[in-house]
Amino acid sequence: MNEKLSAFHIATLIYMIENNIVLFALPRLVAENMGTNGWVGYIFLALVSTGNILLYLVVYRMGKGRSMFDILEKSLSKWILYPVYAGLAVFYIMIASFVGKNFFLIFQMISFQTSNVMFIFLLFCIMVYFLLIKPVYNISKAATVFAFMTWWTLLLTSYQAREWKLIRLTSYFFEDPAGGQVLHNWAEVYTSFIGYELCIFLFPYVNKKSKLFKGVLYGHLLTALAQVIVLLTAFGFFSFQQLQSLLYPIIDMLDFIEMPFINRVENLVFVIFVFGNLISTTMFSFASLSMVKRIFPKTRPKRLEFLIVLGVFIVGFYSKYLSQSEYQLRRVLFTEIGIAFILPMLLILVLLFQKLRERMNSHEH
Amino acid sequence: MDIFAKIKHFFVAGEEEKTTVKEPEKNEPPSLTHTIQEFEKSMDFVHRTYPQCNVDVIYLAFLVGNDQLFQEIIRPFTDVDEEEAKTVLCRSQYVAVVDSKECIEGILNGKAAIFFRGSTYLIDIAKPVGRSVEQSETETVISGPHDGFVENISQNLGVLRQRVKSSHLKFIKLEVGEVAKNVVVVAYIEGLANQEIVDELIRRIQRIEYNAVTDSNMLIQFIDENPNSIFPQFMTTERPDAIVSKLVAGRVAGFVDGSPSGFTCPTAFFDFFSSPDDYYQRWLIGTALRFLRLIGFLITISFTAFYVSVTTYHYEMIPHTMLLNLTESRAKVPFPPLLEALLMETTIELLREAGARLPTKVGQTIGIVGGIVIGQAAVQAGFTSNILIIAVATSAIASFVIPSYIMSASIRLIRFGLIIMAGILGNLGLLMAIGMVVIHLAGVTNMGTSYLTPLAPINFKDMLDTYIRGPFWALRSRPTIVKTPNKKINKMRK
Repeated sequence: MNEKLSAFHIATLIYMIENNIVLFALPRLVAENMGTNGWVGYIFLALVSTGNILLYLVVYRMGKGRSMFDILEKSLSKWILYPVYAGLAVFYIMIASFVGKNFFLIFQMISFQTSNVMFIFLLFCIMVYFLLIKPVYNISKAATVFAFMTWWTLLLTSYQAREWKLIRLTSYFFEDPAGGQVLHNWAEVYTSFIGYELCIFLFPYVNKKSKLFKGVLYGHLLTALAQVIVLLTAFGFFSFQQLQSLLYPIIDMLDFIEMPFINRVENLVFVIFVFGNLISTTMFSFASLSMVKRIFPKTRPKRLEFLIVLGVFIVGFYSKYLSQSEYQLRRVLFTEIGIAFILPMLLILVLLFQKLRERMNSHEH
Repeated sequence: MDIFAKIKHFFVAGEEEKTTVKEPEKNEPPSLTHTIQEFEKSMDFVHRTYPQCNVDVIYLAFLVGNDQLFQEIIRPFTDVDEEEAKTVLCRSQYVAVVDSKECIEGILNGKAAIFFRGSTYLIDIAKPVGRSVEQSETETVISGPHDGFVENISQNLGVLRQRVKSSHLKFIKLEVGEVAKNVVVVAYIEGLANQEIVDELIRRIQRIEYNAVTDSNMLIQFIDENPNSIFPQFMTTERPDAIVSKLVAGRVAGFVDGSPSGFTCPTAFFDFFSSPDDYYQRWLIGTALRFLRLIGFLITISFTAFYVSVTTYHYEMIPHTMLLNLTESRAKVPFPPLLEALLMETTIELLREAGARLPTKVGQTIGIVGGIVIGQAAVQAGFTSNILIIAVATSAIASFVIPSYIMSASIRLIRFGLIIMAGILGNLGLLMAIGMVVIHLAGVTNMGTSYLTPLAPINFKDMLDTYIRGPFWALRSRPTIVKTPNKKINKMRK
């Protein structure tokens, strides 16, 4: 592959991975877990995740752009690493599947209640397959087009301006969260940022000109900005109690829009976000693929991709109901938050160890 | 092969097949007997002899012009002796050939072969065959140059030379087709076009192995990177001004002898939505036209599909003021919306194809009859709803707004896929189908450049001359897709 990713495409890719269906439930998640004016806490979490991204930047700088695999395999035996790769590959397949399936279970709340969700999911998996067999550069190109297709929806928030009241934001901060102020609750909101950590798999596809981390940070901040706009709109549109009780407040907010030629735009806007989930599922599958390819480097093209998408589809059978799917998704995303923090720290430790050993070797000589 | 070996073979990559390179044939000197043997049984084959000067002339009667024949053959060799004939053949227009193949190809191209004392010479006495320059019927113009390319390649290249008076404009002659040996010319402006792209294009044309390549639209299918894609990957046009604007932008053009259209590359998807006319209008009008075409594109691919989706699954999306009319018109129709839409879309396509194949006068009748059948009778018979008629007709009209006929045909075909998906899964199906098209487009490349430029990879400068037609003072650089060594538009560095 000659072409390298550019900062803009990395930004849109990260934006599309992070910005998926969670957006529709986000105001409830924030109100439930953080309390009144939770959007301030949301900004704080955005900064925390930015700090996490900086950890990846340290890995990139210290490792001089080497991939995670190259760094690890220099110091650790393949016998230790390969089972870890395999475990992570399966884990990423699970995230990909749960993220993808969750969308369609929510979709069935709006329409197609009687259709077989697995049939719809199968069509979705076919899309994932056709995206996954392409080089990551082409995935980023598709993500850019999809991003343009979703950005205009932000303009719809202006429609709520007439009903927006500052008083609904209240003068209290972080009061009345449903389960009290505990780390677990804040972590639940943090899951909406999950996706930026996949930047570690992009190391082999960038060069210095790409400005990888400029792209990742912009993409991440763009997501945060879009979501803060949505949160502010929702907090001023609904009362705090309404926000806590509505399952998907954004769907209700869109429901409010009536245009001369079209009503109930949530039917259209909601399905546009299938692209966000498509890119999320594809990139988690891509992470899994990167792992598996490291274990089996000499495989025919498109075979492993097929197996991974098949895995995503089969795991999809596991979550049958929305509540079940939400629970499973939360569990894997909590684990992913852990991985997102631990992985760069581990890599920094390995790199420090490698530097120390190099220095000792040079002293011996 | 046992089962494990089969599984291993399925997953593990093997060695690539090696290709063999054909060795070049040995050159044979041309001879009179061999040349006569090659052309015998051909009624247009002419063999003239001038015994007093020992000269034999061979040519094909239909390819040569009488004036040229008289000027270059009959007058110089009548009543001359051998020594005088030798002096005549020293003139520079008589080119000596040493290869039998070259001699035969020359005769096939309208040259006369002269055999004299064991040597062979070729002299060009071809007459121009074909119609004179006239307006293109497929790409009509309102304002701007009205001339179009014709079938004769020399005339086409002449038209180009007249418009680009630069010694940097180069024409490279190639030959394709095992039997027909069609002449293909690659044109580019040295210093503006990327030499790597020129070389790659020439390499691809030389690799073509086929009986006869008779048109530019056929040739481009041999040289594109995604032969199974539904989208055209090279821009073809019959308008010289379009080709000139592409050449000066740093693109490479190509012509096939016998084809009235030329092609250019590299091309991106959105290039098919611009027309040279945009530059002959004020920039705001040009920009409005480009927007109109993009809206036309969106309407073509999604309007009927959206109708199917809404009337099948999402009635709640229709405002109640419209709902009554819609349900009333749908009440009589016995088919589900998907079937109804497919029927009407197929009818429109039938009408379009019939109109295109029939002579102009009969074509108009078909249009009127079809219009009445679709517009009135089908609704009155309860065959379809009148709102669908509006949707189908608007989509069809919108598809003709796209300047490239080939792109417009591709888009009309995709529409069927979108309608079917909308019939299966409503808005979600429609969006998923659009997603599949985007995924496909993201993988398409033309001469190694992305088909989705300037959207992906993004380039805001190029957008100034793609989605909008920026004012001329703002168009200062050539498009990035052409990878030109001369990016500034106003000056050409040597």
